[in-house]
Amino acid sequence: MSNKRHMGLRASAHISNTLIYIVLVVMSVVWLIPFICIVLQSFRVESTWQVGYVIPQKWGWDNYVALWNSDFKRWYLNTFITALATAVGQTVFVLCMSYTLSRFRFKMRQGLMRFMLVLGMFPNMLAMIVLYRVLKDLGLTQANAVPGLILVYIASSGMGYYVSKGFFDTIPKSLDEAARVDGATRAQVLWKIILPLAKPIVIYTILTAFMAPWGDFVLARYISFGTSAGMNVAVGMYSWLQQDMIGQRYTMFCAGGVVVAIPVTILFMCLQKYYVEGVTGGAVKG
Amino acid sequence: MKTYNDLEYLRLSKGQKFLYRLVSFFAAIPVALKNGCLGIGRFFKNLAAAIGRELADIVLTFKNGDWKTRLSFLIMGFGSMARGQVLRGLLFLLFEAVFIFYMIMGGGHWLSLLSSLGRIGPHDEYSAVLDAYTKVYGDNSFKILLYGVLTIFFIIALVYTWRLNIKQNKIAEDILRSGKKLRSGKEDLKSMVDDQFHKTLLALPLTGIILFTVMPIIFMVLVAFTNYDGSHDGYNNALFTWVGLKNFRTMLTWSGSGVNYSATFGEILTWTLIWAFFATFTNYFLGMFVAMMINKKGIYLKKLWRTVLVLTIAIPQFISLLYVSKMFAKNGIVNGLLLDLGWITQAIDFMGSQANNALLPRVMVILINIWVGIPYLMLITTGILMNIPADLYESSRIDGANAWQQYTKITLPYMLFITGPYLLTSFTNNINNFNVIYLLTGGAPTNAAASGAAGSVGYTDLLITWLFKITMGAESQYYMASVIGILVFLVVAIISLVVYNVLPSIKNEEDFQ
Amino acid sequence: MKKILALVLALALALSLVACGGSKPAEETNSGSELAGTYDITVWCADAIVELTKQQIAAFNESNEDGITFNATVEAVGEGDAATQMITDVEAGGDLFCFAQDQFARLVQAGALNKLGVQASETVSAANDAGVVAAASINGELYAYPLTSDNGYFMYYDKSVIPEEDLDSLEKLVADCEAAGKYFSMETDTSAWYIASFFFGTGCESTWETDADGKFVSVKDTFNSPEGLIAVKGMKHLVDSPMYLSSSDGAGFDSGCAIVVTGTWAYETVAGILGDNLGATDLPSFEVDGQSYHMGSFNGCKLMGVKPQTDAAKSAALHKLAQYLTGEQGQMERFNAVAWGPSNLVDQANEAVQANPALAALLQQNQYSVPQGQIHGSWWDIAKVIGTDVENATDEAGLQAALDNYQAAISALFNMSEEQLNAWSVIGALCGTNWDTDFPMTETAEGTFQSEVLELKAGDELKCRQGASWDVNFPADNVVVEADGNYIVQLVVSGDSGEVTLIAQ
Repeated sequence: MSNKRHMGLRASAHISNTLIYIVLVVMSVVWLIPFICIVLQSFRVESTWQVGYVIPQKWGWDNYVALWNSDFKRWYLNTFITALATAVGQTVFVLCMSYTLSRFRFKMRQGLMRFMLVLGMFPNMLAMIVLYRVLKDLGLTQANAVPGLILVYIASSGMGYYVSKGFFDTIPKSLDEAARVDGATRAQVLWKIILPLAKPIVIYTILTAFMAPWGDFVLARYISFGTSAGMNVAVGMYSWLQQDMIGQRYTMFCAGGVVVAIPVTILFMCLQKYYVEGVTGGAVKG
Repeated sequence: MKTYNDLEYLRLSKGQKFLYRLVSFFAAIPVALKNGCLGIGRFFKNLAAAIGRELADIVLTFKNGDWKTRLSFLIMGFGSMARGQVLRGLLFLLFEAVFIFYMIMGGGHWLSLLSSLGRIGPHDEYSAVLDAYTKVYGDNSFKILLYGVLTIFFIIALVYTWRLNIKQNKIAEDILRSGKKLRSGKEDLKSMVDDQFHKTLLALPLTGIILFTVMPIIFMVLVAFTNYDGSHDGYNNALFTWVGLKNFRTMLTWSGSGVNYSATFGEILTWTLIWAFFATFTNYFLGMFVAMMINKKGIYLKKLWRTVLVLTIAIPQFISLLYVSKMFAKNGIVNGLLLDLGWITQAIDFMGSQANNALLPRVMVILINIWVGIPYLMLITTGILMNIPADLYESSRIDGANAWQQYTKITLPYMLFITGPYLLTSFTNNINNFNVIYLLTGGAPTNAAASGAAGSVGYTDLLITWLFKITMGAESQYYMASVIGILVFLVVAIISLVVYNVLPSIKNEEDFQ
Repeated sequence: MKKILALVLALALALSLVACGGSKPAEETNSGSELAGTYDITVWCADAIVELTKQQIAAFNESNEDGITFNATVEAVGEGDAATQMITDVEAGGDLFCFAQDQFARLVQAGALNKLGVQASETVSAANDAGVVAAASINGELYAYPLTSDNGYFMYYDKSVIPEEDLDSLEKLVADCEAAGKYFSMETDTSAWYIASFFFGTGCESTWETDADGKFVSVKDTFNSPEGLIAVKGMKHLVDSPMYLSSSDGAGFDSGCAIVVTGTWAYETVAGILGDNLGATDLPSFEVDGQSYHMGSFNGCKLMGVKPQTDAAKSAALHKLAQYLTGEQGQMERFNAVAWGPSNLVDQANEAVQANPALAALLQQNQYSVPQGQIHGSWWDIAKVIGTDVENATDEAGLQAALDNYQAAISALFNMSEEQLNAWSVIGALCGTNWDTDFPMTETAEGTFQSEVLELKAGDELKCRQGASWDVNFPADNVVVEADGNYIVQLVVSGDSGEVTLIAQ
């Protein structure tokens, strides 16, 4: 009797596992299809506009060659520089902010956190117009949009302290206190004790900061308007899908997408572990 | 309404508890409002008292202080320098010098024009010799407003620093009088990396936030009280000026004809909330479901499944979403495939560039958002799921619970408790989810009735994309965009307030450490 | 110590303030009458003509007799996007920029277009076709240079599917497509531009008025009329066909289309696909209740604008360049390079231009076309909904409802209630305003309207007007105030005349 029951359980587990595999395979296909399509279309040579089929009739590197001969190189370099600088600056800002709010208890602390929470509720879309004007007076728009964008990205990044503050909260305070007793200054505590422990969150912050500029087209478009030399990949490629260009540039867009996605994806895949720790921690702390 | 004591409350079922909290929240609103008003009253009373105290202190400092202190009232930092604290004194002095320089170089000019936002507009001049018009520019309302606001910031900073400078003198006098020594510049520097380290750390990030977040927000809020738009851009065509509450009246007047700002706002707000609800909860439950499937014992290749899903996070949204939107276009791959298979005879307009077909595009953006969102939720929930103590499941199995009961009695409550705050932020983020809507449909299909009266409006437009279109669209009505921005803020703030008060799992922050 | 930190913070703030605020716009005062010199300029034009424009500017530098040298940066900015980009910041926009005509009013309103000089206006008006000149003018003054005159649509067809004798009848063409299992493609679902074709065919119009600043003030629109109903009936026949496709994509011939209604820009694509089977001709006629109506179209153009300048010499030099680029030779070069249809009358008569199948078809269609004047930006969004409304209609009442919806949305554009339209106000040079502010009047007795008490100065001038527009205003000549004082302005209207008196308080 008990044996039979056991068998039944196993059989049902078997069936449910099979079902799960089917679901997972279907999902994987759905999730991968767009990317497979982008790659395939980027090798299509026979026409440059949108078509209703996936497999190219003629294969070739034409779109990548065209990409190389266009302003895309410039945009790519712009974005890469922006991403690098932002990754460094933003990480410094975020760590300063989150470490302070996690470790120090000072008079305005609660008020400051509440203030930033309220600030975050304003739609930031409108700030664009003001930021443009300020950057323009500093000479950091259009052709000089890259330093301008870096400045904007970094300057307001302190608001995004939440995830890493959650992480610092989990590092026991007793470590700090022990070091302080041994005569270390606060700065030494941060540098010598906390930072080595905070490697995952540092990497998470660098990774998210590095990835963001690749996708920004609203602010970047506004700041670099009408000047190809100051554009990033998102702005430049967005214009390729507009009504008057899509007929000639659709397959180039696909090729560009592949070229943009490859380094970001590889980097992401390598550092995935830290990313997961970051988002999980962030969600738990909310 | 009935009030429960603790014991009675604990006996209630889950649903009743939630209802109770909800009802008591709203029941408490009048009292809270009253307290709030009283609080504001108290605040001003306290503020007045504090200012009085400060003033008295300033006067006393002057009266009792030595000549060094007294001179510091005019020359900031003089006292510090005279007493050997050169570094501090120099910084004070430098600040004063910069302030005076700024006010002379332009600050005073901007400030004086702030009340009118400029007097002289631009005009054309014709040169018969050259047969060409040139433009003679006048004031620039935008700059006047922007730098006027900045100047006010600066003045507040000066008053604060001046007050510090005076306090500093008093403290120094007190210390010297008691026979102790003042801190040297070197000691000051050292304290910056030690007991005052938090201020060093916060200095740059906070400056950045004030200049690049707070200041723009204040500016844009002020714009709601002006007539700044495409035909009054303040420089190139006409100046703009203050109009008081006119724009709020335009937005909030309900004329009932169905084609005005208030009706359009209501319509878009409704869809925005529906969208935020579905976008948040479909992702949440499906993501959790996927995570549970992958985590299940006996499923192999866990890492592979996760990696496939996580790809969507790695690839910039402007590529993946723009591409997906083109896939579903009328001449895109999906339609091509369906036509080839003979499943349909006419291309389906998934993304609704076709007008008045609101439902399909709305469903499509929610579905595609699931595609975007599941991977995040899968990552988040995976970690949490693994933290649920395994013996909970073990003992429930012994009690004879089936999988569904385990889910509803253990997994879900645990998840909701842990991720409650995340759900809230996720909801408010979805209210402002610009990328998904803008890249997928651009707000299409067009809502023609509303478009006449309230800028270009579509059926999938969220408040945030509507705001964007009003800013960038044909009329460039910045003032209306600003009003909408303020209203969006209110919506988000109210929702957050209600949820914070009703949700059980807003934990005490210190508990975590 | 706290103080030191606060100081550092405040200093950082201060420094950035100085950096931002210190730069007041520097007045340039170069007003020499000599144009010779080197100018750094930015030119915005479509991707396709960037290279050509660079060559043309180089040629201008070589050939001009004024000693002008331009150091030009040519940027690819789409003509459909130019206005949005310009309005971001006119000051930093392109000195010369190309744009599609539908953005003209918006650009004038934004102060982004520099008027043409008197002589330049005369030359340009004489050299280009009248419809295009009208599209570039407001109140008879030219604000931009005509660049092309080819923004219209007509019909491409596949000669192997469509017999030539059917080309005149929409009904026959639809039947041919259905028989061949091929699509008839016309973008009536999503584009008001194409929808208008049917309405123009039956003689409907939508004519918009702007004031001198480019702001729209009124519209004469007859889409909701018996003729309009005929138009939507004709359209209904097309969209009800199973082989109807709403698209204007020339690539459609690659995926099952036999007919595509689109414009000259699709020529290369279509020719690449159809080869010798390419046919292009004017739109057909449709039949309603036994009567035939030839489908109309919009006839539009692209323009080149000069950004307002503070330096007179640069302004004049830029106008010289714009005139060169859009002149007879410039347009011809553009036709040769990218087949853009010229607006220049001499070029239009050129043999090569006339031999281009797409331009020839456009020319054929032009006899039925309506010049696309100034149209309110929101009209496109409002009118395009007619397309789907018609598709979803099941009976004549449904078709009528489509037109009613359209009209309701159009009237909402000006946001004027009946009450506002009838309201009287005082306007003039008074109380510190300069003919830009209406002071409301209230009706005190039948036909008698009074203002609030106004503080007037001697020499102030004023008028009374209705509905904040100049359609009805009194008296014919401005009232001139004779002595300082507080007055109530009183208006007595009887029939077509009105009398304005000032009542001293």
